[in-house]
Amino acid sequence: MNGYGGSILRVDLTSGKITKEPTPPKVARDYIGGRGFGAYFLFKEVPQDADPLGPQNKLIISSGPLSGMMIPGAGKCDFTTKSPLTGGYASASLGGHFTAEMKYTGLDSIILEGISPKPVYLFIDDDKVELRDASAMWGKGTLTLEKELKGKFGEEFQVALIGPGGENGVAYASINHDYGRQAGRGGVGTVMGVKKVKAIVLRGTKSVPVADPEGYRKAGMALFKVCKDATGLKEWQTYGTTIVTSWCDEVGALPTRNFSAGSFEGGKNIYGPVMRKEIVITDKGCFGCPSPCGKYSHMKRYNTNVEGPEYETIGMMGSNLGIGDIQDVAQANLLCDELGVDTISTGSAIGWAMECYEKGILTKQDTYGLELKFGNAQAAFAMIEKIARREPGLGALLGEGVKRAAQKIGKGSEKFAIHVKGMEQSAYATHNATAMLLAYMTCDVGAHHNRAWAITYDLQVGRDQVVPEKVARVIWLQNFRPMFDVLGACRLQWVELSIDRDLYVPALEAITGVHRSWGDLEKIGERIWNLSRLYWARENEGFGRSWDMPSPRFYEEPPKTGVTAGQITRLEDVQRLLDMYYEQRGWTSEGLPTRETLQRLELAEFAA
Amino acid sequence: MSAIIRPAGALKSYIAGENEIEVDSGQTLKQALGILGIPSEIVALVIVNEEQQPKDYLLQEGDVVKLIAVIGGG
Repeated sequence: MNGYGGSILRVDLTSGKITKEPTPPKVARDYIGGRGFGAYFLFKEVPQDADPLGPQNKLIISSGPLSGMMIPGAGKCDFTTKSPLTGGYASASLGGHFTAEMKYTGLDSIILEGISPKPVYLFIDDDKVELRDASAMWGKGTLTLEKELKGKFGEEFQVALIGPGGENGVAYASINHDYGRQAGRGGVGTVMGVKKVKAIVLRGTKSVPVADPEGYRKAGMALFKVCKDATGLKEWQTYGTTIVTSWCDEVGALPTRNFSAGSFEGGKNIYGPVMRKEIVITDKGCFGCPSPCGKYSHMKRYNTNVEGPEYETIGMMGSNLGIGDIQDVAQANLLCDELGVDTISTGSAIGWAMECYEKGILTKQDTYGLELKFGNAQAAFAMIEKIARREPGLGALLGEGVKRAAQKIGKGSEKFAIHVKGMEQSAYATHNATAMLLAYMTCDVGAHHNRAWAITYDLQVGRDQVVPEKVARVIWLQNFRPMFDVLGACRLQWVELSIDRDLYVPALEAITGVHRSWGDLEKIGERIWNLSRLYWARENEGFGRSWDMPSPRFYEEPPKTGVTAGQITRLEDVQRLLDMYYEQRGWTSEGLPTRETLQRLELAEFAA
Repeated sequence: MSAIIRPAGALKSYIAGENEIEVDSGQTLKQALGILGIPSEIVALVIVNEEQQPKDYLLQEGDVVKLIAVIGGG
């Protein structure tokens, strides 16, 4: 099949049985690959009510038809599972070089099933596939172990692995790769950990069949040329995602002290230019990237190095914790990476705990004697370690995620646990940014930003406006942007260099031999979006409208400081946003796809 | 007495898809953006002659101003 490795690998960890099957052409036609494959296999193969931490859950790792090809940023790999953090659909994207190497082994998906009786790692060298003993690796940090594995097998092998966070069952453990890239969100690393898979080590040397080699060469080169010629390439490369830090501070979107405000008085010291000057050593890109956004940094004070921090980590580990020092933020990033926990959820959990401490809900008796106040970087470092180790008490509690932690602690702390559907909100404060708020409320995995980044649209239209155009924009972004994760390429060239997305169409056609316009692709995006919604409903009794509600902080507590001081979205507007969203999606007033919508999207077979 | 504004990416739509536009010097960048109809709030980074500057920078004769926005986002 043109554009595909051609096989799906199944690894039954319980029995140790390893099998391969051809990639089903119908699934490739209807779901294309990557995130589409993940959603399809999850819904079809993981039985209803499966325990996310039990043997019935699966970890589905998929590349797409653009992965590993001569296309800008063609290094995106999807990890899908039933989330141990939310109980719903989880899909996390990993950059780097893993997915290209995986494609060259001839694999489109690796599906990990069951639970291994002992720690193992999966070793793949083209057609050689083995489960090997990982007992001696258990407990090791991801950066330490990746270096060891590269040293043992060679630099051409690519490694995806978990740290102590995943081994110990932190609900938001990450899967790490390339010394600083993560599939971070929703607990994909937790599932890998419970399956006792410490690492996947792979190398591939096979070629990928292409329908029209000359057309592919031309279309690929055209894409690279527009990236190279783009105005703004130099700045994007210089600062990466940290371009937005100062801007978020300026417009009141920078999460500050557990999202109690959107501007941070110490913000200037964590802005992109400060970071570039103070700690960045070099730029670092993923496979086939013409605009490397990764930054490799050295923290003089700690004599340590890290890839990052990128904007989300700066927001969640910096301003959200009241920390205004870029070296401290980078050091927190390093600890999370080595221990294998998501920086966004970890930052949110510690921010919530700091607020609890400052309000007297938690005391030093609960915090292991730590002065867990905003701005205390050393206390934050200690808590990262305690979370990853699941240390009895607060560390273990925070490792369950803010939703469950707040439910257990109570005393009003539920109101400032910043999440949707149990996933901690990423780094955009949404007190007065109604499109972005809706994007978080309705995101398919919980409060994550990357499906529909609509905050600039808020500023263009009027941030407090609650109008159908905003809702339509969020829906369009949700259908369109995740398609990059389906195709297996990075969206950031489109996002930041504003290259014409139509240039991808001939490239995809030349590779796969199938013509798909963006209209066709958006329909598939809509299909996957609706399928993931059905999955939430299937797995959670009573799933509906109330699950889409944001933290009350965004409709009850206007910030007291910063540029959004006194500004808030009204509760009736939150409800109006949902009404319009459901109507435009073709969903019921409870937020479930109607029969007509499912038929239109050829999803009737998935309806209950 | 003029300066050149070069918006990056999607910001070009505010100047009819052109790569650059001339504006009068002697005014602040924010004022120039107002005249062009570019909302200053959506501009994330201002680079004047390869140096980062604030939005209230006073435009000088011969300045080349690059504007980076965050239309697409993270």
